[in-house]
Amino acid sequence: MKLLRITFLLVILSTTLSFTAHKFYVSITKVEFSQEESSLQIISKLFIDDIEDVLQTRYNPSLVMGGEKETEAVGKFLKEYVLQKLVIEVNGKPVTLHYLGHEYDNDVVKTYLEVKGVSELNSISVENKMLMELFEEQQNIIHVKRFKKRKSLVLEADNPKGLLNFN
Amino acid sequence: MKFFKFASMIAIFLAAGATYAQDTEETKERDPGHYNDNRFKQLYEEFSTPNMYRSGNGAPGPNYYQQQADYVMDLRLDDKTARLYGVETITYTNNSPDELEYLWVQLDQNVRARDSKSDLIEGSGAVPAEMAGSFVGKYMGEGFDGGFKIDYVNDDNGRPLPYTINRTMMRIDVPKNLKTGDKYTFSIKWWYNIPDHTIDRARSGYEKFEDGNNGYVIAQFYPRMAVYSDVEGWQNSQFWGRDEFALPFGDFDVTITVPSDHILDATGELLNRKEVFSKTMMQRFEAAKKSYKEPVLIVTEAEAEAASKGFATTTKTWKFRAENVRDYGFASSRRFIWDMMAVKIGNRDVMAVSVYPPEGNPLWGDWSTKVVASTLKSYSRMTFDYPYHKAISVHAKNQGMEYPMICWNYGRPDKDGNYSERTKYGMFGVIIHEVGHNYFPMIVNSDERQWTWMDEGINTFVQYVAEQDFGEAYPEAIAPNKAYPSRRGPAKTIVDYMAGNQNKMAPIMTKGLNTYNFGSNAYSKPAVGLNILRETIMGRELFDHAFKTYSQRWMFKHPNPEDFFRTMEDASAVDLDWFWRAWFFTTDYTDIGVKDVKKFYVTSKMNKQIREMIEARGMKESDLPPLVYLVEEGSEDFEEDMKTATLNDVTTLQTFIMDNMTPAERAKLKSPKYFYEITFEKPGGIPMPIIAEYTYSDGTTKRITYPAQIWRKNDASVGKVIASEKEITKIVVDPDEETADIDTSNNSWPKLKKLGEFNKFKEKVKGQ
Repeated sequence: MKLLRITFLLVILSTTLSFTAHKFYVSITKVEFSQEESSLQIISKLFIDDIEDVLQTRYNPSLVMGGEKETEAVGKFLKEYVLQKLVIEVNGKPVTLHYLGHEYDNDVVKTYLEVKGVSELNSISVENKMLMELFEEQQNIIHVKRFKKRKSLVLEADNPKGLLNFN
Repeated sequence: MKFFKFASMIAIFLAAGATYAQDTEETKERDPGHYNDNRFKQLYEEFSTPNMYRSGNGAPGPNYYQQQADYVMDLRLDDKTARLYGVETITYTNNSPDELEYLWVQLDQNVRARDSKSDLIEGSGAVPAEMAGSFVGKYMGEGFDGGFKIDYVNDDNGRPLPYTINRTMMRIDVPKNLKTGDKYTFSIKWWYNIPDHTIDRARSGYEKFEDGNNGYVIAQFYPRMAVYSDVEGWQNSQFWGRDEFALPFGDFDVTITVPSDHILDATGELLNRKEVFSKTMMQRFEAAKKSYKEPVLIVTEAEAEAASKGFATTTKTWKFRAENVRDYGFASSRRFIWDMMAVKIGNRDVMAVSVYPPEGNPLWGDWSTKVVASTLKSYSRMTFDYPYHKAISVHAKNQGMEYPMICWNYGRPDKDGNYSERTKYGMFGVIIHEVGHNYFPMIVNSDERQWTWMDEGINTFVQYVAEQDFGEAYPEAIAPNKAYPSRRGPAKTIVDYMAGNQNKMAPIMTKGLNTYNFGSNAYSKPAVGLNILRETIMGRELFDHAFKTYSQRWMFKHPNPEDFFRTMEDASAVDLDWFWRAWFFTTDYTDIGVKDVKKFYVTSKMNKQIREMIEARGMKESDLPPLVYLVEEGSEDFEEDMKTATLNDVTTLQTFIMDNMTPAERAKLKSPKYFYEITFEKPGGIPMPIIAEYTYSDGTTKRITYPAQIWRKNDASVGKVIASEKEITKIVVDPDEETADIDTSNNSWPKLKKLGEFNKFKEKVKGQ
């Protein structure tokens, strides 16, 4: 409990004087329109340290991400969390995200999601509140690719949702 | 003569060919003129003009000077109240040609004063929930009573000096202007409340362990002289909390009085070791000086645990002297374990030292000192032999911060002593990084307040080299990995950042305070840039020599960005202005691809283009010298049998060869069968070299690197004719992802229908 409290405090107070030689709060979500498969292919990359802090705070202070100590519950928590924090509308209508799973790459965890039945992408609105409840400085960067065109959003706690038009 | 005529005719036709192509375009209005906006233009506008202080070759000029600030300090740590008291005497030497009417002193602790403005420049958003305590602290309480309390500022006769405090800067008005060569001595008495660094993530302070003891890591703890230089005058830009420091070199004589049961280590040579060490500690210290492979414990974990149970009311004074350092730091606690080992640097022995609470074990006892030693070897190889006598790594929770000879590092196992791979690599990485800061900026003393990348970026680059070295030296530390998994350094680690939103990006050449994504902008991107220079553009031999030259030229001096840029070119004969501009002065990105590949056949039969051209000029075929014509596959002039023809069938060519060459010369001729015109495109701004890998029908490959200068006349696309004896089946640009190309979907011909990252994963989970 003490550990939890310290983590939580640290995080909330960490805004202005944070400097460290290493820490910056950022996640990257790539959304790509696949015409062939009539789908949006989504890969969301989060720093393991950050998402682990969040999942520990929300679900279980002793959970471990990655390696042999990762239990099945971690996958479940991660899925529940990502689906709750990531909300997408395509062409003005809310869509259902299908969560495919996660894998690790160095210090990053990648989660894979898919939106099916997207035959055309005229506009996309993305709300991504991941990690923001713990890290005030969190920036969630969204890259959307439709054929050769790419557009990006930078979402922050005071502005966690953005709209991109492709026409 | 004949050859000359032939050549000049061809020149005419080539020129005519170019005009011919243009004639077909619609006539448009004449474009206005423009400045030289070529990406290969030299950086005369961006760079300041070399002068007597800083030379055009990047070295210090004949009139280069730097100021000197020597300190005598007497410090007392009150462990009960967590306060630090100090009296310091500064002797300032004006080596500049200027007369100084006042001196600026930095009061960094004031960033935590109640009237600090640091919070006021940060935008904030409402968070959905806060801990009650933090809410009170933020909105209801007075906040922590931080900042320097100045008791006096006196001249060397004890008379008060007038001074003015502007937040984190203090101006001292000297009674008589300091002329060149003048020395001025004055004293400051001060104290401050030490902050809990685990709460506000300050760069220094104390951590309260669960047993109630404090671990102190103390820095920015004394009023410090600002830098006066030829470029900035006084560097008195305020300390807002993020941009680090600019400090002159000097000698330090420091006494530190702490509870007698504390273990303490600090910048500088310990002068009274016999007074503060027990006999056992002395014996262990002597053993450590001869141990090159394994650290020797000076204070064991059991001894640290035993000491933690007491609280001495008596004190002990530790005396240190440090020469030619730019700053001072120390760590003190009764809950410290201490180990050391020797490491050979050149022909000297340096002590690699670690100080950590039992909370750091087993990780710290196993690895910290070995990481320090390995880091010193790598950095010494890349720059210059480590000039100080020791390097200390102190374990402090959540810290990663550097001072001369001493640094604070994170990486803590859980209560049962277990730790994840991330904790371990986090600890290795931060120790290498912070020990590496001894070189940049402690010795190669750049201005951190202004140019974060000059210490963080350059240091992160060498950190990458040192991490790889460490992995090779201690394979058991990184197993089952074969190489150290560096987070920063390799080109592809910066792609996500550089592909990002341009509105939230600043060039590297931006004051650190004003950049958006600090980690990527000031650490990762410059490190990747230098790695690309070393591995891809210059090669290791040229790069390493130039990098060493820069380090040695500016060792114990104050370099500016141009000094680095100029030295790297001057010592290597590689023109890098284009690279500095693209990578450091803009937010451009790399994107190069293969746009088009055309196949050609050679014939002696005149093709349509040339026929139309000569007809337009009223010439006949007989007016021309014997020519060899290229015909594109599928074009009007193309005939199926061209495919099977060889160069022997091209009569104009054969006649020329027979008439002009001896049999010996003829025997040496190559006989290419396949001719291609490849068009490379460059949607990205950065003119990187084109690294093209050609795969032939027999499965062999050949790699050709076209230098970046290939883009100097056409920034968007460039053609290349390849004559080959074998058929080309595949072309890949940047096959090893070494140029930070942000979009690799255009890097292959034929277009690779490659299974993307997403589909790969989908395939993988399908079977499960």
